[in-house]
Amino acid sequence: MLYRKLYSFDYEEARDVPEAISLLQTHGTEAAVMAGGIGLIEEMKRRAVTPKVVVSLQPIDQLKFLDVSDGNLRIGALSKLSHGEQSNVVKEGFPALWEAIAQISSAQVRNMGTIVGNITACNPGSDVATALVALDASVKIADGNGGKCIPIKSFGVHSRKNILKPGEIVTEIIVPCLAPGAQTAFLNLARTKEDCAKVVVAVNARVTEGVIEDIKIALGAVAPTIVRATTVETMLLGEKPSEGLIQAASERASQENMVTPISDIRSTSQYRSQMVSVLTRRALTRVFQNHMN
Amino acid sequence: MKKIEATFIVNGNPYEIYVDSHALLIEVLRDELGCKLNGVHESCGSGDCGACTVLVDGEPILSCMTLAVSVRGKAITTIEGLAKGTELHPLQEAFVSNGAIQCGYCTPGMILSAKGLLDQNPNPSELEVKKALAGNLCRCTGYKKIIDAVLRVSKGGN
Ligand SMILES: Cc1cc2nc3c(=O)[nH]c(=O)nc-3n(C[C@H](O)[C@H](O)[C@H](O)COP(=O)(O)OP(=O)(O)OC[C@H]3O[C@@H](n4cnc5c(N)ncnc54)[C@H](O)[C@@H]3O)c2cc1C
Ligand code: FES
Ligand code: FES
Repeated sequence: MLYRKLYSFDYEEARDVPEAISLLQTHGTEAAVMAGGIGLIEEMKRRAVTPKVVVSLQPIDQLKFLDVSDGNLRIGALSKLSHGEQSNVVKEGFPALWEAIAQISSAQVRNMGTIVGNITACNPGSDVATALVALDASVKIADGNGGKCIPIKSFGVHSRKNILKPGEIVTEIIVPCLAPGAQTAFLNLARTKEDCAKVVVAVNARVTEGVIEDIKIALGAVAPTIVRATTVETMLLGEKPSEGLIQAASERASQENMVTPISDIRSTSQYRSQMVSVLTRRALTRVFQNHMN
Repeated sequence: MKKIEATFIVNGNPYEIYVDSHALLIEVLRDELGCKLNGVHESCGSGDCGACTVLVDGEPILSCMTLAVSVRGKAITTIEGLAKGTELHPLQEAFVSNGAIQCGYCTPGMILSAKGLLDQNPNPSELEVKKALAGNLCRCTGYKKIIDAVLRVSKGGN
């Protein structure tokens, strides 16, 4: 039978993080990391990437964790999307992240793909990454030299390009627990439930004594990376939530400098821009609903 | 090209073979084991349609997007593993009697996704059935009869 086959390459399995890094350093730019593999194999089938060596992290038991400690959710690099979906800790403590994961429509994709792999793939329309940017997550990187931790919003540098250098891997994502009283919302718009989103919006807000004390608005599928609507955030901070404010803020959202949507098979850039405003309005209405009279 | 020695446990039977490091699970199941498990179908080959669904350790996954070497030693179930001799599995029975099969191309994947669900959750709601089958496309039936067939088995206490 004629399959959509892969080309020939070598396959290595790492048993722990140092071994993964050493294999990746040995093979340099010729190697690719594999977690769940679904994103990588899709790209290799299209020959969008053509590594000569695939280094699988799958045997590394230390990367299989998903728990809360010291006020943070820690998502190990081998936590599947399905683990996030089945986790009550995620569902109750991080509802925007849970919704972003659970709405990925195919059970097979959730059973195969990791949460970290979704982030490292740097798809500008990623639902999960948009939620994690609003939640101000950090990415922990092992580099064989002490490692580092960077904010997720600086992790993606372009569509499908992250800041990792050869020989570096992400070991976990760290998500701070929501502050008391914080409300979050996740919304996306797609042609069908299965299709990639045209626009994604995630909001994380806290109102204290009637005024907006903290707000993060993340937008996906409207720029080469997930972006924060920083001018809208500044406009909202310190204000009292009202319908008028929400309307003005959501209109501003599509005017943000960083919002530069493209036209493609899914949408025109004009439609995407308009929908940034619509989804932002809905998301803000949701997070402020208990604070408006 | 590197061949890797591997044991695959498919439908309860171990198969020891040498496999290419770049071989996909679907290729191995259909062509390499010597028993031609042709119930595993490829349609899109890109993760979108679910025709190639098999169970690995009880979970539905896509065999067109899985490196065969990565599931060495794990329990793999294909549609051929469901019937006992000539006695069909209750899901197979229900698909036949409910008219949930037309051309049949999507059926193995549909039934395995449904089995993955019912093994975890023997009494799912209609919405849970729809969610579990959302990654399986059917061009013929319009889904209604498929969902009814799965619900029939769940209510029948499989
Ligand atoms: C059919 C389909 C539908 C999808 N629908 C959605 C959707 O609706 N919403 C959504 O947000 N996403 C969606 N996705 C994306 C999906 O969530 C990701 O492809 C998946 O989570 C990737 O995880 P993985 O473990 O398979 O990564 P892999 O395929 O293993 O890796 C993906 C990329 O990240 C790199 N990588 C992986 N792990 C690490 C690591 N620890 N350190 C450094 N680099 C690493 C790999 O080298 C590769 O470049 C969909 C994907 C498919 C195939
Ligand atoms: S053939 Fe595997 S998902 Fe379509
Ligand atoms: S019966 Fe023909 S594709 Fe489903």
